Amino acid sequence: MVMEDPEAPHHMLLLRNFMAQGLVHNQPLLYASPNRDPRGFLGTLPSPAASKDDKSRQRDPDQEKGLRIAWQYKKYFGENQLNFDGQRDGKHEYSNEFDLRKPLERHFLSGQRVECVSFQDCPNLSALQDHCATFLSQFPRNDGNISCVGRIAIQSICAPQCEYSNMEWDMLSFIRSLKSMVRSSNAVAIVTFPPSLLSPSFCKRWQHMSDTLLSVKAIPDEDKELAQLLTGYQDMVGFLNVHKVARINTQVPLILEATTFSIKLQKRRFLVLECLNQAPVDGSSGASYGTSGSCSGSSKTGNLDF
Amino acid sequence: MAESICRVLRDGALEGEHAPALTIKDSIASPFGFHVFSHVLSQLSSFLFAGKSQSRGLVIVSFSRSPSFYLELLKSKGIDVVSSDKRIQILDCYSDPLGWKDRLIEAGSFTALSHESSVSSTAIVFKNVKYMDKLYNSIIELGRGLVGGGRNRFSVAIDSVDEMLRHASISSVASLLSNLRSHDQVSSVFWLLHSDLHEDRVTSVLEYLSSMVASLEPLHEPANGQRGDLEKFSLIEHNAKKGKFHARFKRRNGRVRLMSEEVRIEQSGINFTSLSSEGAVNQGLAPKVQFNLQLSEKELIDRANVVLPFEHQGNGKPIQIYDGRRSLVDSKQERPVAVTEKVQTNEDSGRGEIIYFRDSDDEMPDSDEDPDDDLDI
Repeated sequence: MVMEDPEAPHHMLLLRNFMAQGLVHNQPLLYASPNRDPRGFLGTLPSPAASKDDKSRQRDPDQEKGLRIAWQYKKYFGENQLNFDGQRDGKHEYSNEFDLRKPLERHFLSGQRVECVSFQDCPNLSALQDHCATFLSQFPRNDGNISCVGRIAIQSICAPQCEYSNMEWDMLSFIRSLKSMVRSSNAVAIVTFPPSLLSPSFCKRWQHMSDTLLSVKAIPDEDKELAQLLTGYQDMVGFLNVHKVARINTQVPLILEATTFSIKLQKRRFLVLECLNQAPVDGSSGASYGTSGSCSGSSKTGNLDF
Repeated sequence: MAESICRVLRDGALEGEHAPALTIKDSIASPFGFHVFSHVLSQLSSFLFAGKSQSRGLVIVSFSRSPSFYLELLKSKGIDVVSSDKRIQILDCYSDPLGWKDRLIEAGSFTALSHESSVSSTAIVFKNVKYMDKLYNSIIELGRGLVGGGRNRFSVAIDSVDEMLRHASISSVASLLSNLRSHDQVSSVFWLLHSDLHEDRVTSVLEYLSSMVASLEPLHEPANGQRGDLEKFSLIEHNAKKGKFHARFKRRNGRVRLMSEEVRIEQSGINFTSLSSEGAVNQGLAPKVQFNLQLSEKELIDRANVVLPFEHQGNGKPIQIYDGRRSLVDSKQERPVAVTEKVQTNEDSGRGEIIYFRDSDDEMPDSDEDPDDDLDI
């Protein structure tokens, strides 16, 4: 789940990449949004960037961790080993690089693979739930191999213009049933929501419901303090925080090297996540997070490009 | 900064984008929201009549003031709505919002008053404020009537969302506003909200739906503690004419722009000036570090007081530098610090001293001795 910032549309960048990646790899997609015409959003999906050869194959395991946080959905499919690297090949290289300036080719958006649902005028969420159930029935989880996987993208589920948006228990119950449906099928789902529109207790409940929890934040424009503190401030559009990473069927927690990333648009085409180094802990513990001690930019540029 | 707001509304929406929407938010502590609304309204109208704005028409949905008020207001700014070609229409939700007059007429106990002819040509009475979808349709209809069809756009001004919320739920009001924003022919929308009339959630919803939020705050916060009545009164008086005006713009690049100004209410109207003192408070999203890189005042003073171990302190007087050859005769410490080697501690005892504890005071100063001499290798 992604917690939106009401002041910036960064969650849409994440959704775009998620949806485009699925379509490029022939994975059926269900997209639901509160707009009257959700199909219009498909026109803004980015096309895969011209691949730099062999770059994705040569990534060493350390950097895989960063990718694993959000983008390696394979582990949600039941195989829970961390080093599940098999089946990366296929017809397309599994790439995280998309060119935002180039729209996705039309043939990827053809009818069979993409289903769009608008929930603005629905009095409750049962219609959406039925849609999801029908969609997910295409990917039952058998003991055998995974033939086909599906992706669900639900945008701004508690948008205020929806009638059910003040029925908080109903929305929570929908999320719970979506979660159970997704668990028992070969699919993943991203749900975005603006936490400021929920009451605090429900916001907490929703956060607990998620397997992986991210949040995006806008940054103030022309802020001199931030400009001094962060290198590359000029290119940044926001921050991404990783609050929780899915740990299914395991007790071993995942300690992340960094949980805050800056969102940058390189040349306005490529979405880049760079990790902002965490503050050093007090010297007595000895260990310091991150690879460099300063608060400036990053050392991991280029590897989290997507 | 108020100009920036008006400019954004004037420039309107790009193709395929939602129309910019402004929420003007005030509270009882700084109740100038309607002044700001009138200011924005008159500015936009003058852009409209000068042909400088994207929109070709303006629909004013009036809940809290009668249509004649707006006609007068615009007239005072030099805009004569009635005589010039039709650019402004008023949807009158003030005179009879729930359609009571009709029902009373039917019941025979009421005779309708005739409207002024000049008003009725620019104002259409709306009688179904409980139904947001009907309100939406009427707004669109009025707007289309002003600008025609096709690509021509019009702006919408709603003078009080509070009144709408009295009659309808927040989700239907939110639905109306978001539908207005996403309509092809709407150039910009703005509305006024009194934030203390509603729960926080309502304010959050309206801020979520808008691309600019202008909020009014008192210049001097009234303290909660015990203050004399006279002081309170002067504060109130102070706040009665002046206030702080903050604006948050959601920019296209995903960043948020924050601006602040001071606002003053005068006879002639409202006046915006830049903040007299450094006002912008930025909480900062910068990662908080766990150590302090700055020195506090006391630390700065103490640091200045430390006597440096140089021969020349720069003040003309020679100074005897301690070189390890004396032991401290009067030790002020109760228990000596156990050291195995030379330890120099800096203590800020006001002057800055370097206190050295020798291993033992009996030892002769070992100026020429080689301490390794007694090694038996």
